[in-house]
Amino acid sequence: MRVRTRGYWLYLAPSLVLFVVVVVVPFLMNVGASFTRWSGVGTPRWIGFDNYARLLRDERFWQSFQHNVGLIVAMAVVPTAIGLVLASALFDYVAKRFGTRTAATLRAMYYLPQVLPVAVAGVVWGWMLHPSYGAVNQIFHLDLDWLGDPDLALATVMAVMVWFQLGYPVVIFMAGLQRVDPAYYEAAEIDGASWFRKFWHITIPQIRPEIFVVLLTCTIAALKVFGPIFVLTRGGPGNATMVPSYFSYLNFFQKSNVGYGSAVATVLALIIIVVTFLFLRVQERAQ
Amino acid sequence: MVRLRGAAALAAAVLVLSACGSGAETPPSASAAQPRVLKLWHYETPDSAMGKAWAEAIKKFEASHPNVTVKFESKGFEQIQKTASMVLNSDEAPDIMEYNKGNATAGLLSKQGLLTDLTEEAAKRGWDKLLPGGLQTTAKYDDRGVMGSGNWFGVPNYGEFVMVYYNKDLFEKHKVPVPATFEEFTAALDTFVKAGVTPIANAGAEYPAQQIFYQLALTKAQKPWLAAYQSYQGKVDFHGPELTYGAQTFADWVKKGYIAKNSSGLKAEDMGVAFMNGKFPMMISGSWWYGRVASEVKDFEWGHFLFPGATLSPGSSGNLWIVPEKSKNKDLAYDFIDITMSKDIQNLLGNSGGLPVAADPAAITDARSKELIETFNKLTSTDGLAFYPDWPAPGYYDVLVAGVQNLINGSKTPAQVLDEIAKPYEDNLQDIGN
Repeated sequence: MRVRTRGYWLYLAPSLVLFVVVVVVPFLMNVGASFTRWSGVGTPRWIGFDNYARLLRDERFWQSFQHNVGLIVAMAVVPTAIGLVLASALFDYVAKRFGTRTAATLRAMYYLPQVLPVAVAGVVWGWMLHPSYGAVNQIFHLDLDWLGDPDLALATVMAVMVWFQLGYPVVIFMAGLQRVDPAYYEAAEIDGASWFRKFWHITIPQIRPEIFVVLLTCTIAALKVFGPIFVLTRGGPGNATMVPSYFSYLNFFQKSNVGYGSAVATVLALIIIVVTFLFLRVQERAQ
Repeated sequence: MVRLRGAAALAAAVLVLSACGSGAETPPSASAAQPRVLKLWHYETPDSAMGKAWAEAIKKFEASHPNVTVKFESKGFEQIQKTASMVLNSDEAPDIMEYNKGNATAGLLSKQGLLTDLTEEAAKRGWDKLLPGGLQTTAKYDDRGVMGSGNWFGVPNYGEFVMVYYNKDLFEKHKVPVPATFEEFTAALDTFVKAGVTPIANAGAEYPAQQIFYQLALTKAQKPWLAAYQSYQGKVDFHGPELTYGAQTFADWVKKGYIAKNSSGLKAEDMGVAFMNGKFPMMISGSWWYGRVASEVKDFEWGHFLFPGATLSPGSSGNLWIVPEKSKNKDLAYDFIDITMSKDIQNLLGNSGGLPVAADPAAITDARSKELIETFNKLTSTDGLAFYPDWPAPGYYDVLVAGVQNLINGSKTPAQVLDEIAKPYEDNLQDIGN
């Protein structure tokens, strides 16, 4: 038995080395830098927990986490909920009534935003939401400053993120539905169950692992979101759409405040690790 | 046996590596005839005045240095801005590079020991004579990285300033004379607003709005205030008359409709394109737009004037040529800077819509360029360059963007915005010299 275990370690060794070099070492270096005052060049000065103490008092940092909660709703909760209904409708209704090709085409269309580079999607949405000549205002005869009004900006970014994320759960859930035994649905139909009852009592419990995976990966994506914020608002107007990763980036590259930026990144990484751990525990229990 | 083979391989690898190392350490200037490479980075677009001038300078340099090849790499402004300290601290540093000027940029790098001290070369090659006093400010930095005194760590060879671009056709249509005083300027703004036209093109998500705010503060500012704000030679009261006037007037201008309420999320490009499309009678922005406005505006006549009622305008020398401390070909870098300072290149810069610092006035034949250079000379002769509002502290650009966006949206009062921008400024004061 012992010999066999050793054999497995040999296969795992390359990825383990890669993991240590690419993830563990940089993370530990980042943690180390977070205890220093450092501009990124020269000798870092050890300041203990000062950066963390400063973080606790920093209004912008806490504000950025509040915005993160909104983005978790927009990037994980809402797309999962809508994705479930859409995937189920495509699988149960569209595929049966209009053929699998139609369902596949619609699925691809929902997935299209995921294929687009975030910079391209951001620039296009920037044009569409332009207060003077943007298509959204023109079509709906509105005069709103979607990304420039602090009361609207976060909600607008959230709406764009729902559009951006939606295709991912749809594709995953449709793949999940392929493995559900059709006998469950047939039995339910014989019993006269409505579509909603089948959805609630068969679809959701059967694809629970996929729902967990989607919620977990989308929550992590929302916690570390950077690209869409950079392209759409750069954290503004004011700090209305500031998120921790952009806040960290500002400290690293704009302020040459590498120590403080590292502290933000460390806290963010720890939060992501804790969230992941909690999700996995809940999933284990549910199974 | 295996161990022995491993040791032999390791020894061979060490030998090969050390051979590479020793080769790399050979001074490149060991022989004058030996082929050499000058690594040069800049971020000017090829169709800009500087892009054209630097391309010609590279040609001239290669002609006068037959054994040297210039390896030019075009970089983005943001790309260099965000990575400069890391690149210059590595062995990948170029021999000469264009870099942004000011305390938070070139000053920070000089303090970090990443830039070559050019004081001796500036005196030897006469660069110090070619640059008028105000333009030397951004070339020199003290031990704390504060501009204006100390050693030369960069060489600027063009200038820039903020002015008011105006649409002559719209001015004529609404019977608005070109304003010479601040009162005439606000009267002109009122006339446009009454006619249902928003007079000033603006962009709150990038630099334009903060430059308007700063320009308004400058109408009340004197030199000592400027020295305090930009060079920390005194205490800056953020609720003093200058900044209070700037913030309050800016907010009033939004309320009065001089500046659009929906401009807080717009980028500089939106502002420039809107002005060039004839949608706004005025745009308050820098000379860096001049060449583009000249080449793209075909449908209306346009002109420019200095902001009325102020002796100071945002502006400075252009970006700097810096020589990284790790440059392996410093002598060549100095030669290249010398060529960019030569009359030929400076005249080309001037005739392409740029603001040369050492051109021959008689050689500037383009009428528009001549007009621009005359305005710039008027400003520099009175020492009227006031630099830019975001220079005093690293990361201050974003602080000002956020602050001015709050003024546009009316989500914070001018006093609250001033508190908000005061804090990072004060925090930075404690960092200077550390």
